Amino acid sequence: MSASVIEADQLQIHAARQCVLDLDRLDISGGTVTAIMGRNGAGKTTLLRAALGFVAPTQGALRVLDCRVPQLAGSALAQFRRRIGYVPQLLPVRGDLPLTVREVAAIGRTGRTGVFRSFTRNDWRVVDEWIERLGLASLADRAFGEISGGEQRKTIIARAMAQQPELLILDEPTANLDLGWRERIVATIQELHAQTAITVVLVCHELEVLPPSCRRVVLLDSGRLLASGPAEAVFTLERIAELYGEGLCVMHQGGRHAVVPVGGEHV
Amino acid sequence: MFDLVFWLPVMVGGTLAGASSGLLGTFIVGMRIPFLGVCVAHAALAGAVFGSLCGLEGQALLLPALGGSIVAALTLGLLDPHRVHLDDNAVLSFLFSATMGLAFLGIGLHGVLGRSDNDVRSLLWGSLNFCRWRDVWLMLASAGGLAAYIVIFFKELRAIMFSRLDAEAAGIRVKAVWSGFLVLVAVVLTVNFQTVGGLMIYSLISNPAAAAFQVVKGCRRTMLVSAGFGAASGLGGFLISAATDLPSGAVIVLVSSALLALAAIIRRARLTAGT
Repeated sequence: MSASVIEADQLQIHAARQCVLDLDRLDISGGTVTAIMGRNGAGKTTLLRAALGFVAPTQGALRVLDCRVPQLAGSALAQFRRRIGYVPQLLPVRGDLPLTVREVAAIGRTGRTGVFRSFTRNDWRVVDEWIERLGLASLADRAFGEISGGEQRKTIIARAMAQQPELLILDEPTANLDLGWRERIVATIQELHAQTAITVVLVCHELEVLPPSCRRVVLLDSGRLLASGPAEAVFTLERIAELYGEGLCVMHQGGRHAVVPVGGEHV
Repeated sequence: MFDLVFWLPVMVGGTLAGASSGLLGTFIVGMRIPFLGVCVAHAALAGAVFGSLCGLEGQALLLPALGGSIVAALTLGLLDPHRVHLDDNAVLSFLFSATMGLAFLGIGLHGVLGRSDNDVRSLLWGSLNFCRWRDVWLMLASAGGLAAYIVIFFKELRAIMFSRLDAEAAGIRVKAVWSGFLVLVAVVLTVNFQTVGGLMIYSLISNPAAAAFQVVKGCRRTMLVSAGFGAASGLGGFLISAATDLPSGAVIVLVSSALLALAAIIRRARLTAGT
Protein backbone atom coordinates (compact mmCIF):
# COMPACT_ATOMS: atom_id res chain seq x y z
CA MET A 1 0.00 0.00 0.00
CA SER A 2 1.26 3.53 -0.83
CA ALA A 3 2.34 5.96 1.85
CA SER A 4 -0.30 8.06 3.59
CA VAL A 5 -1.33 11.26 1.86
CA ILE A 6 -3.51 12.43 4.74
CA GLU A 7 -2.73 11.48 8.33
CA ALA A 8 -4.69 12.72 11.31
CA ASP A 9 -3.72 11.81 14.85
CA GLN A 10 -5.75 12.80 17.93
CA LEU A 11 -7.15 15.60 15.80
CA GLN A 12 -9.69 17.96 17.32
CA ILE A 13 -11.27 21.01 15.73
CA HIS A 14 -13.56 23.36 17.58
CA ALA A 15 -15.98 25.95 16.20
CA ALA A 16 -18.07 28.26 18.38
CA ARG A 17 -16.66 26.44 21.45
CA GLN A 18 -18.03 23.11 20.23
CA CYS A 19 -15.97 20.18 19.07
CA VAL A 20 -16.93 19.64 15.41
CA LEU A 21 -14.24 17.08 14.57
CA ASP A 22 -12.64 14.55 16.92
CA LEU A 23 -10.57 11.88 15.15
CA ASP A 24 -8.32 9.46 17.05
CA ARG A 25 -6.61 8.29 13.89
CA LEU A 26 -7.23 8.59 10.17
CA ASP A 27 -4.97 7.60 7.28
CA ILE A 28 -5.69 8.01 3.60
CA SER A 29 -3.28 6.18 1.32
CA GLY A 30 -1.76 7.60 -1.84
CA GLY A 31 -3.16 6.57 -5.21
CA THR A 32 -6.57 5.64 -3.81
CA VAL A 33 -10.08 7.02 -4.18
CA THR A 34 -11.55 7.58 -0.72
CA ALA A 35 -15.02 8.85 0.04
CA ILE A 36 -15.78 10.78 3.20
CA MET A 37 -19.45 10.41 4.01
CA GLY A 38 -21.86 11.18 6.81
CA ARG A 39 -24.94 13.14 7.70
CA ASN A 40 -25.12 16.93 7.63
CA GLY A 41 -22.84 18.34 10.34
CA ALA A 42 -20.76 15.16 10.52
CA GLY A 43 -17.53 17.10 10.03
CA LYS A 44 -16.78 16.17 6.40
CA THR A 45 -16.24 19.67 5.04
CA THR A 46 -14.40 20.70 8.23
CA LEU A 47 -11.92 17.88 7.62
CA LEU A 48 -11.38 19.04 4.01
CA ARG A 49 -10.98 22.66 5.07
CA ALA A 50 -8.44 21.62 7.71
CA ALA A 51 -6.56 19.57 5.10
CA LEU A 52 -6.32 22.70 2.94
CA GLY A 53 -5.21 24.88 5.87
CA PHE A 54 -8.38 26.96 6.02
CA VAL A 55 -9.27 25.74 9.53
CA ALA A 56 -6.75 25.35 12.33
CA PRO A 57 -7.00 22.29 14.61
CA THR A 58 -7.27 22.99 18.32
CA GLN A 59 -5.40 19.81 19.17
CA GLY A 60 -3.56 16.91 17.55
CA ALA A 61 -1.55 16.44 14.38
CA LEU A 62 -2.58 16.72 10.74
CA ARG A 63 -0.14 15.86 7.97
CA VAL A 64 -1.09 16.23 4.34
CA LEU A 65 1.39 15.38 1.56
CA ASP A 66 4.08 15.14 4.26
CA CYS A 67 3.42 18.70 5.45
CA ARG A 68 2.28 19.59 8.95
CA VAL A 69 -0.58 21.77 7.75
CA PRO A 70 -1.30 23.71 10.99
CA GLN A 71 2.32 24.91 11.04
CA LEU A 72 2.19 26.34 7.52
CA ALA A 73 1.66 30.04 6.88
CA GLY A 74 2.24 32.66 4.19
CA SER A 75 4.15 31.49 1.14
CA ALA A 76 4.73 27.99 2.59
CA LEU A 77 0.95 27.52 2.88
CA ALA A 78 0.43 28.87 -0.65
CA GLN A 79 3.06 26.49 -2.03
CA PHE A 80 1.46 23.58 -0.19
CA ARG A 81 -1.97 24.41 -1.63
CA ARG A 82 -0.55 24.40 -5.16
CA ARG A 83 -0.05 20.65 -4.72
CA ILE A 84 -3.77 20.09 -4.09
CA GLY A 85 -6.57 20.39 -6.61
CA TYR A 86 -9.75 21.50 -4.85
CA VAL A 87 -13.25 21.41 -6.27
CA PRO A 88 -15.54 23.27 -3.85
CA GLN A 89 -19.15 22.42 -3.17
CA LEU A 90 -20.44 25.88 -4.09
CA LEU A 91 -19.56 27.41 -7.43
CA PRO A 92 -19.63 31.15 -8.17
CA VAL A 93 -23.09 31.73 -9.63
CA ARG A 94 -22.61 35.18 -11.13
CA GLY A 95 -24.10 34.89 -14.60
CA ASP A 96 -22.67 38.24 -15.72
CA LEU A 97 -19.03 37.47 -14.93
CA PRO A 98 -17.20 37.70 -18.28
CA LEU A 99 -14.52 35.05 -17.62
CA THR A 100 -14.40 32.34 -20.26
CA VAL A 101 -14.23 28.61 -19.55
CA ARG A 102 -10.56 28.66 -20.65
CA GLU A 103 -9.77 31.53 -18.26
CA VAL A 104 -11.45 29.75 -15.35
CA ALA A 105 -9.52 26.54 -16.07
CA ALA A 106 -6.33 28.64 -16.23
CA ILE A 107 -6.81 29.71 -12.59
CA GLY A 108 -5.39 26.29 -11.70
CA ARG A 109 -2.04 27.26 -13.28
CA THR A 110 -1.92 30.71 -11.68
CA GLY A 111 -0.47 29.75 -8.30
CA ARG A 112 1.87 27.20 -9.89
CA THR A 113 3.28 29.67 -12.41
CA GLY A 114 4.22 32.04 -9.60
CA VAL A 115 4.06 35.77 -9.03
CA PHE A 116 5.70 38.15 -11.57
CA ARG A 117 5.57 35.46 -14.27
CA SER A 118 3.22 35.27 -17.21
CA PHE A 119 1.78 32.03 -18.49
CA THR A 120 4.16 30.18 -20.78
CA ARG A 121 3.08 28.18 -23.82
CA ASN A 122 3.41 25.08 -21.67
CA ASP A 123 0.97 26.49 -19.09
CA TRP A 124 -1.64 27.09 -21.81
CA ARG A 125 -0.91 23.65 -23.30
CA VAL A 126 -1.71 22.01 -19.93
CA VAL A 127 -4.89 24.10 -19.56
CA ASP A 128 -6.06 23.26 -23.08
CA GLU A 129 -5.20 19.61 -22.61
CA TRP A 130 -7.50 19.35 -19.58
CA ILE A 131 -10.24 21.30 -21.30
CA GLU A 132 -9.99 18.80 -24.16
CA ARG A 133 -9.84 15.74 -21.90
CA LEU A 134 -12.95 16.82 -20.04
CA GLY A 135 -14.86 17.41 -23.27
CA LEU A 136 -15.05 21.18 -22.88
CA ALA A 137 -13.15 22.20 -26.05
CA SER A 138 -16.25 23.49 -27.83
CA LEU A 139 -17.10 25.65 -24.79
CA ALA A 140 -13.60 27.05 -24.19
CA ASP A 141 -14.44 30.57 -25.36
CA ARG A 142 -17.95 30.67 -23.83
CA ALA A 143 -18.52 32.70 -20.66
CA PHE A 144 -18.43 30.49 -17.55
CA GLY A 145 -21.71 31.99 -16.36
CA GLU A 146 -23.51 30.99 -19.56
CA ILE A 147 -22.85 27.24 -19.48
CA SER A 148 -24.87 24.61 -17.59
CA GLY A 149 -24.24 23.59 -13.97
CA GLY A 150 -22.72 20.27 -15.05
CA GLU A 151 -20.41 21.96 -17.54
CA GLN A 152 -19.39 24.46 -14.86
CA ARG A 153 -18.55 21.60 -12.51
CA LYS A 154 -16.40 19.97 -15.22
CA THR A 155 -14.66 23.31 -15.79
CA ILE A 156 -13.78 23.49 -12.10
CA ILE A 157 -12.43 19.92 -12.27
CA ALA A 158 -10.36 20.97 -15.31
CA ARG A 159 -9.11 23.93 -13.28
CA ALA A 160 -8.11 21.64 -10.42
CA MET A 161 -6.37 19.17 -12.77
CA ALA A 162 -4.56 21.93 -14.68
CA GLN A 163 -2.79 22.52 -11.40
CA GLN A 164 -1.20 19.05 -11.90
CA PRO A 165 -1.97 18.23 -8.27
CA GLU A 166 -0.78 15.31 -6.18
CA LEU A 167 -4.12 15.17 -4.38
CA LEU A 168 -7.59 15.95 -5.74
CA ILE A 169 -10.24 16.98 -3.21
CA LEU A 170 -13.84 17.08 -4.39
CA ASP A 171 -16.50 18.48 -2.08
CA GLU A 172 -19.91 17.21 -3.19
CA PRO A 173 -19.04 17.37 -6.90
CA THR A 174 -22.54 16.40 -8.01
CA ALA A 175 -24.51 18.81 -5.79
CA ASN A 176 -27.51 20.31 -7.65
CA LEU A 177 -26.90 18.23 -10.79
CA ASP A 178 -29.47 16.11 -12.57
CA LEU A 179 -29.08 12.33 -12.94
CA GLY A 180 -27.41 12.55 -16.36
CA TRP A 181 -24.79 15.05 -15.21
CA ARG A 182 -24.26 13.13 -11.99
CA GLU A 183 -23.33 10.03 -13.98
CA ARG A 184 -21.04 12.03 -16.27
CA ILE A 185 -19.20 13.50 -13.29
CA VAL A 186 -18.87 10.05 -11.66
CA ALA A 187 -17.46 8.70 -14.96
CA THR A 188 -15.06 11.67 -15.12
CA ILE A 189 -13.73 10.96 -11.61
CA GLN A 190 -13.33 7.29 -12.50
CA GLU A 191 -11.42 8.15 -15.70
CA LEU A 192 -9.22 10.71 -13.97
CA HIS A 193 -8.13 8.17 -11.42
CA ALA A 194 -7.63 5.42 -14.01
CA GLN A 195 -5.53 7.68 -16.26
CA THR A 196 -3.44 9.53 -13.68
CA ALA A 197 -3.54 7.36 -10.53
CA ILE A 198 -4.03 10.56 -8.56
CA THR A 199 -5.18 10.33 -4.94
CA VAL A 200 -8.82 11.39 -4.80
CA VAL A 201 -10.70 12.39 -1.66
CA LEU A 202 -14.38 12.76 -2.33
CA VAL A 203 -16.97 14.17 0.05
CA CYS A 204 -20.53 13.20 -0.78
CA HIS A 205 -23.91 12.39 0.71
CA GLU A 206 -25.10 9.79 -1.77
CA LEU A 207 -23.67 6.33 -2.32
CA GLU A 208 -24.60 6.66 -5.99
CA VAL A 209 -21.80 9.21 -6.43
CA LEU A 210 -19.05 6.72 -5.53
CA PRO A 211 -17.11 5.64 -8.63
CA PRO A 212 -16.16 1.94 -8.94
CA SER A 213 -12.54 2.84 -8.15
CA CYS A 214 -13.59 4.00 -4.68
CA ARG A 215 -12.54 1.12 -2.44
CA ARG A 216 -12.86 2.88 0.88
CA VAL A 217 -15.53 4.92 2.62
CA VAL A 218 -14.77 6.90 5.78
CA LEU A 219 -18.04 7.42 7.62
CA LEU A 220 -18.18 10.32 10.07
CA ASP A 221 -20.91 11.11 12.53
CA SER A 222 -20.99 14.05 14.94
CA GLY A 223 -17.34 14.69 14.18
CA ARG A 224 -16.19 11.16 15.02
CA LEU A 225 -15.08 8.25 12.87
CA LEU A 226 -18.00 5.82 12.86
CA ALA A 227 -16.71 3.27 10.34
CA SER A 228 -14.16 2.84 7.61
CA GLY A 229 -13.80 0.29 4.82
CA PRO A 230 -15.42 -0.80 1.56
CA ALA A 231 -18.89 0.67 0.95
CA GLU A 232 -20.45 -2.79 1.26
CA ALA A 233 -19.04 -3.19 4.77
CA VAL A 234 -19.71 0.35 5.96
CA PHE A 235 -23.24 0.78 4.64
CA THR A 236 -25.03 -2.19 6.11
CA LEU A 237 -28.81 -2.17 6.45
CA GLU A 238 -28.50 -1.71 10.21
CA ARG A 239 -26.22 1.27 9.87
CA ILE A 240 -28.39 2.92 7.24
CA ALA A 241 -31.42 2.46 9.48
CA GLU A 242 -29.48 3.87 12.43
CA LEU A 243 -28.30 6.94 10.49
CA TYR A 244 -31.11 7.72 8.08
CA GLY A 245 -34.16 5.90 9.44
CA GLU A 246 -36.08 2.73 8.59
CA GLY A 247 -37.49 1.83 5.19
CA LEU A 248 -34.33 2.07 3.13
CA CYS A 249 -32.34 -0.69 1.51
CA VAL A 250 -28.90 -0.62 -0.07
CA MET A 251 -27.83 -2.20 -3.35
CA HIS A 252 -24.25 -2.95 -4.40
CA GLN A 253 -23.61 -3.97 -8.00
CA GLY A 254 -20.58 -3.78 -10.28
CA GLY A 255 -18.71 -1.46 -7.94
CA ARG A 256 -21.61 0.98 -7.80
CA HIS A 257 -23.95 1.47 -4.87
CA ALA A 258 -27.42 2.86 -4.34
CA VAL A 259 -29.79 3.45 -1.46
CA VAL A 260 -33.46 3.10 -2.37
CA PRO A 261 -36.69 3.18 -0.36
CA VAL A 262 -38.17 -0.23 0.26
CA GLY A 263 -41.58 1.19 -0.59
CA GLY A 264 -44.65 1.65 1.53
CA GLU A 265 -43.89 3.30 4.86
CA HIS A 266 -40.67 5.12 4.19
CA VAL A 267 -39.70 7.26 7.19
CA MET B 1 -15.78 80.69 -28.45
CA PHE B 2 -14.27 77.38 -27.23
CA ASP B 3 -10.95 78.13 -25.53
CA LEU B 4 -8.96 74.94 -26.17
CA VAL B 5 -6.02 76.00 -23.99
CA PHE B 6 -8.36 76.31 -21.00
CA TRP B 7 -10.52 73.30 -21.73
CA LEU B 8 -7.88 70.80 -22.92
CA PRO B 9 -6.78 69.77 -19.38
CA VAL B 10 -10.45 69.44 -18.48
CA MET B 11 -11.05 67.09 -21.41
CA VAL B 12 -7.89 65.07 -20.71
CA GLY B 13 -8.76 64.96 -16.99
CA GLY B 14 -12.29 63.73 -17.69
CA THR B 15 -11.02 61.10 -20.12
CA LEU B 16 -8.34 59.90 -17.68
CA ALA B 17 -10.75 59.76 -14.74
CA GLY B 18 -13.19 57.75 -16.86
CA ALA B 19 -10.54 55.37 -18.20
CA SER B 20 -8.87 54.68 -14.84
CA SER B 21 -12.21 54.25 -13.04
CA GLY B 22 -13.43 51.93 -15.79
CA LEU B 23 -10.22 49.91 -15.57
CA LEU B 24 -10.39 49.33 -11.81
CA GLY B 25 -14.18 49.02 -12.03
CA THR B 26 -13.78 45.70 -13.89
CA PHE B 27 -12.45 44.06 -10.73
CA ILE B 28 -14.61 46.07 -8.29
CA VAL B 29 -17.83 45.20 -10.14
CA GLY B 30 -16.55 41.65 -10.73
CA MET B 31 -16.08 41.26 -6.97
CA ARG B 32 -19.53 42.83 -6.44
CA ILE B 33 -18.28 45.64 -4.22
CA PRO B 34 -19.13 48.81 -6.21
CA PHE B 35 -19.93 50.49 -2.87
CA LEU B 36 -16.15 50.61 -2.37
CA GLY B 37 -16.08 53.91 -4.32
CA VAL B 38 -18.41 55.68 -1.89
CA CYS B 39 -16.65 54.14 1.09
CA VAL B 40 -13.21 55.30 -0.07
CA ALA B 41 -14.62 58.78 -0.81
CA HIS B 42 -15.87 59.19 2.75
CA ALA B 43 -12.66 57.76 4.21
CA ALA B 44 -10.72 60.33 2.14
CA LEU B 45 -13.07 63.06 3.34
CA ALA B 46 -12.58 62.01 6.97
CA GLY B 47 -8.81 62.11 6.49
CA ALA B 48 -8.97 65.54 4.87
CA VAL B 49 -11.29 66.91 7.58
CA PHE B 50 -8.92 65.92 10.36
CA GLY B 51 -5.96 67.16 8.30
CA SER B 52 -7.74 70.49 8.03
CA LEU B 53 -8.37 70.52 11.79
CA CYS B 54 -4.63 70.02 12.24
CA GLY B 55 -3.98 73.16 10.20
CA LEU B 56 -3.36 71.76 6.68
CA GLU B 57 -4.97 73.51 3.72
CA GLY B 58 -5.21 73.49 -0.09
CA GLN B 59 -3.34 70.73 -1.96
CA ALA B 60 -1.72 69.60 1.31
CA LEU B 61 -5.08 68.10 2.30
CA LEU B 62 -4.49 65.41 -0.31
CA LEU B 63 -2.03 63.69 2.05
CA PRO B 64 -4.42 63.05 4.99
CA ALA B 65 -7.14 62.24 2.43
CA LEU B 66 -4.86 59.57 0.95
CA GLY B 67 -4.10 58.35 4.46
CA GLY B 68 -7.80 57.95 5.28
CA SER B 69 -8.66 56.15 2.06
CA ILE B 70 -5.65 53.82 2.27
CA VAL B 71 -6.51 52.84 5.86
CA ALA B 72 -10.07 52.00 4.73
CA ALA B 73 -8.77 50.01 1.74
CA LEU B 74 -6.27 48.08 3.86
CA THR B 75 -8.93 47.28 6.45
CA LEU B 76 -11.04 45.68 3.74
CA GLY B 77 -8.08 43.91 2.13
CA LEU B 78 -6.48 42.50 5.27
CA LEU B 79 -9.62 41.36 7.10
CA ASP B 80 -9.88 37.60 6.87
CA PRO B 81 -13.46 36.77 5.74
CA HIS B 82 -13.14 33.26 7.28
CA ARG B 83 -12.35 34.71 10.69
CA VAL B 84 -14.61 37.74 10.88
CA HIS B 85 -17.57 35.92 9.29
CA LEU B 86 -18.52 39.13 7.49
CA ASP B 87 -19.26 39.63 3.82
CA ASP B 88 -17.12 42.28 2.04
CA ASN B 89 -20.21 44.46 1.61
CA ALA B 90 -20.94 44.27 5.35
CA VAL B 91 -17.36 45.41 6.05
CA LEU B 92 -17.78 48.23 3.52
CA SER B 93 -21.04 49.24 5.14
CA PHE B 94 -19.30 49.42 8.53
CA LEU B 95 -16.36 51.39 7.09
CA PHE B 96 -18.72 53.76 5.25
CA SER B 97 -20.76 54.51 8.40
CA ALA B 98 -17.67 54.92 10.57
CA THR B 99 -15.81 57.20 8.12
CA MET B 100 -18.92 59.24 7.32
CA GLY B 101 -19.54 59.70 11.05
CA LEU B 102 -15.93 60.80 11.55
CA ALA B 103 -16.08 63.17 8.56
CA PHE B 104 -19.25 64.89 9.77
CA LEU B 105 -17.92 65.01 13.32
CA GLY B 106 -14.83 66.78 11.99
CA ILE B 107 -16.90 69.18 9.87
CA GLY B 108 -18.96 69.97 12.98
CA LEU B 109 -15.76 70.61 14.91
CA HIS B 110 -14.75 73.17 12.24
CA GLY B 111 -17.88 75.15 13.20
CA VAL B 112 -17.22 74.75 16.92
CA LEU B 113 -13.63 75.96 16.48
CA GLY B 114 -14.66 78.74 14.09
CA ARG B 115 -12.66 77.42 11.12
CA SER B 116 -13.57 77.32 7.42
CA ASP B 117 -14.29 73.92 5.88
CA ASN B 118 -14.36 75.14 2.26
CA ASP B 119 -11.10 73.39 1.30
CA VAL B 120 -12.42 70.10 2.66
CA ARG B 121 -15.71 70.33 0.80
CA SER B 122 -14.03 71.22 -2.49
CA LEU B 123 -11.77 68.17 -2.15
CA LEU B 124 -14.72 65.80 -2.18
CA TRP B 125 -16.99 67.70 -4.52
CA GLY B 126 -14.29 68.95 -6.88
CA SER B 127 -15.36 70.40 -10.20
CA LEU B 128 -14.07 68.98 -13.48
CA ASN B 129 -14.23 72.44 -15.07
CA PHE B 130 -11.41 73.61 -12.79
CA CYS B 131 -9.12 70.70 -13.64
CA ARG B 132 -5.64 71.99 -14.55
CA TRP B 133 -2.50 70.30 -15.95
CA ARG B 134 -1.06 69.79 -12.46
CA ASP B 135 -4.16 67.71 -11.60
CA VAL B 136 -3.89 65.85 -14.89
CA TRP B 137 -0.26 64.82 -14.23
CA LEU B 138 -1.25 63.56 -10.77
CA MET B 139 -4.14 61.58 -12.25
CA LEU B 140 -1.87 60.20 -14.96
CA ALA B 141 0.74 59.09 -12.43
CA SER B 142 -1.80 57.30 -10.22
CA ALA B 143 -3.56 55.71 -13.21
CA GLY B 144 -0.16 54.60 -14.59
CA GLY B 145 0.65 52.96 -11.25
CA LEU B 146 -2.68 51.16 -11.27
CA ALA B 147 -2.23 49.99 -14.88
CA ALA B 148 1.28 48.69 -14.11
CA TYR B 149 -0.02 46.79 -11.07
CA ILE B 150 -2.81 45.23 -13.15
CA VAL B 151 -0.34 44.16 -15.86
CA ILE B 152 1.99 42.56 -13.27
CA PHE B 153 -0.74 40.82 -11.25
CA PHE B 154 -3.28 40.28 -14.02
CA LYS B 155 -3.58 36.51 -13.68
CA GLU B 156 -3.87 36.70 -9.88
CA LEU B 157 -6.52 39.46 -10.01
CA ARG B 158 -8.48 37.47 -12.60
CA ALA B 159 -8.48 34.46 -10.28
CA ILE B 160 -9.51 36.55 -7.25
CA MET B 161 -12.33 38.11 -9.27
CA PHE B 162 -13.67 34.64 -10.05
CA SER B 163 -13.58 33.41 -6.46
CA ARG B 164 -11.42 34.46 -3.54
CA LEU B 165 -11.72 30.98 -1.98
CA ASP B 166 -10.78 29.21 -5.23
CA ALA B 167 -7.84 31.54 -5.70
CA GLU B 168 -6.59 30.83 -2.17
CA ALA B 169 -7.08 27.10 -2.66
CA ALA B 170 -5.03 27.28 -5.87
CA GLY B 171 -2.10 28.68 -3.87
CA ILE B 172 -2.44 32.36 -4.76
CA ARG B 173 -1.38 34.92 -2.12
CA VAL B 174 -4.82 36.52 -2.21
CA LYS B 175 -4.49 38.82 0.80
CA ALA B 176 -1.25 40.40 -0.44
CA VAL B 177 -2.34 40.86 -4.07
CA TRP B 178 -5.85 42.07 -3.22
CA SER B 179 -4.66 44.49 -0.51
CA GLY B 180 -2.09 45.99 -2.90
CA PHE B 181 -4.78 46.47 -5.52
CA LEU B 182 -7.15 48.11 -3.01
CA VAL B 183 -4.43 50.54 -1.90
CA LEU B 184 -3.91 51.61 -5.53
CA VAL B 185 -7.68 51.92 -5.97
CA ALA B 186 -7.77 54.21 -2.93
CA VAL B 187 -4.95 56.35 -4.35
CA VAL B 188 -6.53 56.62 -7.84
CA LEU B 189 -9.98 57.42 -6.47
CA THR B 190 -8.70 60.00 -3.97
CA VAL B 191 -6.65 61.76 -6.65
CA ASN B 192 -9.66 61.70 -9.00
CA PHE B 193 -12.11 62.94 -6.33
CA GLN B 194 -10.49 66.30 -5.91
CA THR B 195 -10.80 66.86 -9.64
CA VAL B 196 -14.07 65.31 -10.64
CA GLY B 197 -16.00 64.74 -7.40
CA GLY B 198 -17.12 61.68 -5.50
CA LEU B 199 -20.51 60.98 -7.06
CA MET B 200 -19.16 61.04 -10.59
CA ILE B 201 -16.37 58.62 -9.71
CA TYR B 202 -18.89 56.19 -8.24
CA SER B 203 -20.80 56.18 -11.55
CA LEU B 204 -17.60 55.85 -13.56
CA ILE B 205 -16.55 52.79 -11.53
CA SER B 206 -19.86 50.95 -11.84
CA ASN B 207 -21.45 51.84 -15.17
CA PRO B 208 -18.61 51.29 -17.70
CA ALA B 209 -17.61 47.96 -16.13
CA ALA B 210 -21.20 46.74 -15.89
CA ALA B 211 -21.69 47.77 -19.55
CA ALA B 212 -18.53 45.94 -20.63
CA PHE B 213 -19.72 42.81 -18.78
CA GLN B 214 -22.82 42.90 -20.98
CA VAL B 215 -21.10 43.00 -24.35
CA VAL B 216 -17.74 41.20 -24.21
CA LYS B 217 -16.22 37.99 -22.86
CA GLY B 218 -12.72 37.49 -21.51
CA CYS B 219 -11.10 39.39 -18.66
CA ARG B 220 -8.52 41.33 -20.70
CA ARG B 221 -11.06 42.42 -23.32
CA THR B 222 -13.58 43.40 -20.63
CA MET B 223 -10.97 45.55 -18.92
CA LEU B 224 -10.10 47.38 -22.15
CA VAL B 225 -13.73 47.90 -23.15
CA SER B 226 -14.59 49.09 -19.64
CA ALA B 227 -11.72 51.60 -19.72
CA GLY B 228 -12.89 52.69 -23.19
CA PHE B 229 -16.49 53.15 -22.02
CA GLY B 230 -15.22 55.14 -19.03
CA ALA B 231 -13.08 57.37 -21.24
CA ALA B 232 -15.97 57.83 -23.69
CA SER B 233 -18.27 58.79 -20.80
CA GLY B 234 -15.76 61.33 -19.44
CA LEU B 235 -14.90 62.93 -22.76
CA GLY B 236 -18.30 62.52 -24.43
CA GLY B 237 -20.12 63.85 -21.39
CA PHE B 238 -17.89 66.90 -21.27
CA LEU B 239 -18.31 67.65 -25.00
CA ILE B 240 -22.10 67.33 -24.75
CA SER B 241 -22.15 69.60 -21.70
CA ALA B 242 -19.93 72.15 -23.50
CA ALA B 243 -22.27 72.14 -26.51
CA THR B 244 -25.46 72.37 -24.44
CA ASP B 245 -24.20 74.42 -21.48
CA LEU B 246 -25.44 71.76 -19.06
CA PRO B 247 -23.48 70.79 -15.89
CA SER B 248 -20.58 68.53 -16.97
CA GLY B 249 -20.65 66.15 -13.97
CA ALA B 250 -24.34 65.39 -14.41
CA VAL B 251 -23.98 64.84 -18.17
CA ILE B 252 -20.98 62.51 -17.71
CA VAL B 253 -22.94 60.41 -15.20
CA LEU B 254 -25.93 60.28 -17.59
CA VAL B 255 -23.75 59.30 -20.57
CA SER B 256 -22.23 56.41 -18.57
CA SER B 257 -25.73 55.33 -17.48
CA ALA B 258 -26.95 55.49 -21.10
CA LEU B 259 -23.99 53.33 -22.20
CA LEU B 260 -24.95 50.70 -19.62
CA ALA B 261 -28.59 50.74 -20.75
CA LEU B 262 -27.50 50.44 -24.40
CA ALA B 263 -25.15 47.53 -23.57
CA ALA B 264 -27.95 45.72 -21.72
CA ILE B 265 -30.24 46.16 -24.75
CA ILE B 266 -27.51 44.84 -27.09
CA ARG B 267 -27.01 41.79 -24.88
CA ARG B 268 -30.72 41.08 -24.77
CA ALA B 269 -30.94 41.42 -28.55
CA ARG B 270 -28.01 39.01 -28.96
CA LEU B 271 -29.58 36.47 -26.61
CA THR B 272 -32.88 36.73 -28.49
CA ALA B 273 -31.08 36.26 -31.79
CA GLY B 274 -29.22 33.29 -30.27
CA THR B 275 -25.70 34.55 -31.03
